[in-house]
Amino acid sequence: MTKSDYLSNRLFMRLLNDISTVWRDGNLFLDSVLYSYAQIFFSNRKWFGLAALLISFIDVQVGALGFLGVLLSNSFALYLNFDKDKIRKGFYGFNGILLGAAIGFFFEITPLILGMAIVFIFLAFFISASMEHLMANVFNLPGLSLPFILTLYIFLIVVTNFNGVLYRDLLTASTGAISFLPDCVNLLLNSVALILLQSKAVAGFLILIIILVFSRVMFINSLIAFFFNFAVISILFKNPSYTLLILTSFNAILIAFALGGSMIILSKKTIPLLLMTIFFTIIFTLFFESILAEKLLPVLVLPFNFVALSTIYSLKFRKESTDLTLLYFSPGSPEENYYYHTTRTARFEGFKYMFPEFPFLGEWKITQAFDGKHTHKDEWKYAWDFEIADETGKFYSGDGAKPSDFYCFNTPVVAPLDGEVVKAIDSVHDNNIDEVNLEQNWGNTLIIDHGNGLFSSMSHLKRKSILPKVGDKVKKGQVVARCGNSGRSPKPHLHFQFQLTDKLGDKTYKFPFSQYILKTDSREELKVFDYPEENQSVKNIDVHKIIKNAFTFKLGDEFVFNCSLDGEKFTERWKVNVDILNTLYIENRNGDRLNIFISEKIFYASNYIGKQESALYFFYLSASKAPLGYSEKLFWEDVFPLGTVTKGFTRYISEFFLFYGEVIKSKGVYNWFSHENETISLRSKLKIFGTGIFSFYKRDGEGEIIISPDSGLQKITYRKNEKNFTAQVKGD
Amino acid sequence: MTKKRYEKPIILKQHSGMMNKFGSTQTFRPITKIDDVEIDSLTEKFGSPLFVFSEKQIREKYRKLNKIFKTRYPKVRFAWSYKTNYLSAICSIYHQEGSWAEVVSEFEYDKARDLGVKGENIIFNGPFKSESALEKAIREKALIHIDHFDELYSIMEITEKIDLTANVAIRVNMDTGIYPPWNRFGFNYENGEAMLALKRIIHDERLELKGLHTHIGTYIMSAEPYRQATLKLVDLAKEIYDNYNVRLEYIDLGGGFPSNNTLKGQYLEAEQLLPTYEDYADAITSALFELNLPSDELPVLTLETGRALIDDSGYLITSVFATKRLSTGKQALIMDAGVNYLFTSYWFNHKVVPTKEISGFTENTIVYGPLCMNIDVIRDDVVLPVMHKGDKLVVLYVGAYSVTQWMQFISLRPNVVLITEEGDVELIRAAETNENITEQERLPEKLSDFTLTD
Repeated sequence: MTKSDYLSNRLFMRLLNDISTVWRDGNLFLDSVLYSYAQIFFSNRKWFGLAALLISFIDVQVGALGFLGVLLSNSFALYLNFDKDKIRKGFYGFNGILLGAAIGFFFEITPLILGMAIVFIFLAFFISASMEHLMANVFNLPGLSLPFILTLYIFLIVVTNFNGVLYRDLLTASTGAISFLPDCVNLLLNSVALILLQSKAVAGFLILIIILVFSRVMFINSLIAFFFNFAVISILFKNPSYTLLILTSFNAILIAFALGGSMIILSKKTIPLLLMTIFFTIIFTLFFESILAEKLLPVLVLPFNFVALSTIYSLKFRKESTDLTLLYFSPGSPEENYYYHTTRTARFEGFKYMFPEFPFLGEWKITQAFDGKHTHKDEWKYAWDFEIADETGKFYSGDGAKPSDFYCFNTPVVAPLDGEVVKAIDSVHDNNIDEVNLEQNWGNTLIIDHGNGLFSSMSHLKRKSILPKVGDKVKKGQVVARCGNSGRSPKPHLHFQFQLTDKLGDKTYKFPFSQYILKTDSREELKVFDYPEENQSVKNIDVHKIIKNAFTFKLGDEFVFNCSLDGEKFTERWKVNVDILNTLYIENRNGDRLNIFISEKIFYASNYIGKQESALYFFYLSASKAPLGYSEKLFWEDVFPLGTVTKGFTRYISEFFLFYGEVIKSKGVYNWFSHENETISLRSKLKIFGTGIFSFYKRDGEGEIIISPDSGLQKITYRKNEKNFTAQVKGD
Repeated sequence: MTKKRYEKPIILKQHSGMMNKFGSTQTFRPITKIDDVEIDSLTEKFGSPLFVFSEKQIREKYRKLNKIFKTRYPKVRFAWSYKTNYLSAICSIYHQEGSWAEVVSEFEYDKARDLGVKGENIIFNGPFKSESALEKAIREKALIHIDHFDELYSIMEITEKIDLTANVAIRVNMDTGIYPPWNRFGFNYENGEAMLALKRIIHDERLELKGLHTHIGTYIMSAEPYRQATLKLVDLAKEIYDNYNVRLEYIDLGGGFPSNNTLKGQYLEAEQLLPTYEDYADAITSALFELNLPSDELPVLTLETGRALIDDSGYLITSVFATKRLSTGKQALIMDAGVNYLFTSYWFNHKVVPTKEISGFTENTIVYGPLCMNIDVIRDDVVLPVMHKGDKLVVLYVGAYSVTQWMQFISLRPNVVLITEEGDVELIRAAETNENITEQERLPEKLSDFTLTD
C-alpha cells in the first residue's frame, strides 16, 4: 500500500466515521431535515424521514422544491434563534416541505416561480411560527398543516396574476397508475402519494411500505379509512369524479394518521371515531370544494385540518378522558403512544404529589368507608371510620361496656401529613357506650391544613387529648391526639376525612392514602394511592433501614458490576445522574438509561430506554417498584410497557390487533425474602403472555436482587427461558 | 346408677369466717378441659402430674400485647426472656411470632443459637457473662447489655484482642419510686454512673452504642414507675445525642409486667387489682414521645416481657394422692406435685381448681406436695370441696419460671405437653428417668461394692 493509498484510506475511514457519528449522535441540521419529513406522517423516526425524502424525488421537481423548502425553513429558524429542540424535531420544517412540494406540483419551474417559491417559503415559516403561538394560546391546539394551506392559497391567488406562469397537468385517473392493478388499488396508492404531492402510484406504494414498517396501527387505520371512504362515496354518488375520490380518500387517510393513534391514544373507540370523522371529512370536502371552486383554489388538506382540529378541540371538554385520551406527552408511533399511556395509567393512575398516610400506628380495621351504611353519605361520603380489632374480629376485651374496654380507645392519633393545626376542639366529654352526643356531632376534632388546599379532619377524639395548639406545625407521624368516643360516636372509633376548608364538618373530599399495606389472612398487599374499603385491615409501611439504604440512589453514586450473560462476561458501570427536568436516572456506559424516583416509601423505576441485555435492564425488570418496608408476607404487582419486555416478530404482528386491545400482556409479582446471612432479596416473577390467538406466546422470567446491610446493592440475577444473567457488584 | 362413694361424717364448728365484703362463699367453676382437650384424657396418656401449655393461648397473648404496643408506638420489638421458660418448643413459638431472644447466660445463649436465632437477634443480659461467652457474642454481633464496669473492661479487652466491634448497650438502674429499687443491676442513673459508662463506650471506637436498657423490677403493680424509668432513659438518650451526636437504635424497658397470679399477702385477687397492659403501654410510649423525634427516627422500643406473656398459658395437673384431716379439723390434701415442681408457690397463691364438678359444701383446705419436707405446701389455705384420692386439681398460671426453676428433688420431673393450635397434644419434654440423673454421676471404684448389715 502506498502512502497516498494509506492516506486516502484513512480519509475515507474518517469520513465514514464522521457520517456514522453524525447519524448516531445527531447533527442538528441533518436531524431537523429528516424529522421534518417524518413529521408529515406523524412519525418520529429518522429513517422514515430519509425514506420519505427519497420517495419525494420520484417527481424530481416536487422533491427538489420540497427539499428547498425544508432547507430554507430550518436555516431561517436557526438564523433567527428559534428553539433548537423544536427545529430539530422538524416542527418548523414540514410546512416548508409541503409548500415547496405543492408549488412544484402545480407549476412549471421558471426563475420567477423559483424566486416566488423562496419568498413564500419564508412567508410560510412566519405564518407557521405565529400560528403555532396563536393556536396554542387560544385553542391549545397544534397548527397541523394550516400554515401550509394558507400560504399556498395566498401564493395561488397572487402568483397567477404574474406573467409567464405555467401550470402543470392536473391529476387524472390515469396519471402514474400501475397498469396491472385494479382501479381501486391505484386510487389508494395515488391518494397516499398525494401526501407528498406525488402523482405516481409507485410513490404511494413505497409510502405504504414504510408506514407498515413504522406502525401496524397506522397501516391498518389507513386501509380502513380508505375503504370506508370509498364505500361511502360509492353509495352517495352515482359517478363520482376522480378529483372527489382522490381528495376524500387522501383526507380520510390523513385523518386516520392523526386521530388513529398519533394525536389521540389508541383505544377501542378509535375505529368508530375514525368512521365518524371520515364522514365529516367527506362533508367538508364537498363544502370547501364548492366554496373554493370560485377562486380556483384546490381543497387539498383543508378538510383534514378542519375536522382533525375540531375533533381534538371538542374532546378536550369532557369530564373524564379515560378513553380517546389526547396525547399528553412527546409523541412516538401510535404503538409507542399506546404502550406509554396504558403502562402509565396502570402504574401511576391516581398518583398525587402529596403522600398522606394513616393517622394511627399499627394495624386497624375500617368499620365504615365511602358511602357507608351509618353516616358516610351524601356530602360526607368520602370518609373513613377506623377501629382496632383482635384476632377474632372483636373490637373490645371484657364485656365492652365501657370505652376503655375498646382496643382503640386512648391509642395515639398521628398527623397524616405535615401541616399546620387550624382547629382543635377537645372539650367534649366522651360518651358512654351506645350513647351519642348529637348536639356536638363531631365531638373533639382536630383539623390540619396540609397546604395546596388540602385539609384533614379527625373526629371523636378523647377529651383533653389534643397535644398541639392552633397554629402549631405538625410533622407526619407525630402524635397529635388520642382516639376517643366523643360526639356522635356510640363506641370508640376514629373518624377521618379529607376536606377543602378548615370548617368543622365540611363536606368531604375524595383523596387517597398514598401508600399502605392491606392485610389479608395469609398475605399483605401493597396499595398505592388507593382508597381502603370497609372491613379491610390496614397499616402504614414501616421503613426498613437496609432496604431504604440500598434503594436510595444519590446523585453521583457509581456502581461497577461484573456481569455474565449466558457465559459471556463483561463489566458494566452505572452512574446516577439528574437531568434538566430534575429526573433522577441511572445511566450505564452504553447509554442505556433508567429513570428512577422515590415517593417517600416506595422506589419506582419509572422508565427504561436502552438495550435489553444490560445489568441496568435486568435491574429494571426485577425492581420496577419496591416498597421500602420489609415483611415476608408482603407482595406487590407491576406491569411493563410491552416495548421493554418483548422484541421481534411476534410483537410486530400482534400490533395489527392493537386497536382491539393488547393481545400480549405483562405482569410482575414481587416479594421480599430474608436470607440466613443477613442479606435481603427482592424476588420477582415476570410473565409475558399472549391472549386470544396469541396465547401460544409465553415468556417467563425470574429475577432476584440481593442487598446487604453494609454495602446495599450486591447482586442482580435474572433467569429467562433461554437466558441466564448475573451481575455482581465489584468490591473496591 | 352407680353406688355413691362413702363419705366419712365429720363435725365442723360453724363459723362465719373473716368479715369480708364479698361474702363468705367462694365458688369454683371446675376446669375439665384445656383448649377443648379433656384433662382426663391428658393424664391418661401422659400421667400425673403433668405440665400443659397451650399454643393457642400463647400466640393470642403475644399478639394481643404486641398489638397494644404497636398501636401506640411505631417501632416495637419483643425479645423472649429465656429464663422465664426456655423449653425449645415454647421459645420457638415466640420466635415464630417474630420475637428476638433475651438470654442471661452462656447456656441460654447457646440454646438460642441452637434454635436458629441469629447472634444479631440476641440480647445478652445479666451480671454474669463469662469471657468466652462475651467473645462469642461479640463475634456473632449479639447485643450485649453491660451490667458493670468490670464487664465493660472485659469487652474492651476482647474487642481489642480480636479486633472486632461489639454492639453494646448499658443497663441502667434508677429510682422509679418502687420499693425495693433494683440497684444491684447495671449502672445508676442518679449518681451519674450511667453517663460515665456511656462516655467510656462512646469514646471507644470498637464499641458501638446501640441502646439503653433498664429492668425496674418484677411484678410491678403500677404503670407509673415505667413512665419514670422511660423518662429517665429518654433524658439519657437526649443528653448523649446533644453532647455526642449519637442516636440510639433502641430503648429496652425490660420486663416486669405482672401476670394474673396473686402474690402472697395480697388482699385482692390480681385480676381486680392490676392495671391493664394498655396502661403500661400508655405510660411507656407517651414518655418515649417526649424524645420529640420524627417517627422514623424514634428508637425501637424493646420489651423483654416474660411472665406476662407465658404465665396464663401454663397449667399443672396434679392428683390427690391421699387426704387427711389435720388435728385442727382442716382438710389436707397430699398431691403428687409439690414445691419441687412449683417453685413459684413460695411467692404466689396459685389458683387451684378441681377438674370436675364436686357437689357438697366447700371448706378451707391445705394442699401439700409429696415431699417429705415441712415446707412442701402448694396452698396453705384454699377453699375447696371435699376431695378424694385420685381426684385431680389444676394449678393455673404456672407458665412462667416453673419449668426453669423446678428441681429434681426427691422425685423426677414429669412430662410437659403442648396443646397445639390444631388441637393435637405434643410431648415437648419427656419425663425424666433415673438414667438422666445418674448418667452424669461417676462412682469411684472403691465404692462400687458394699455389703449391708444384717
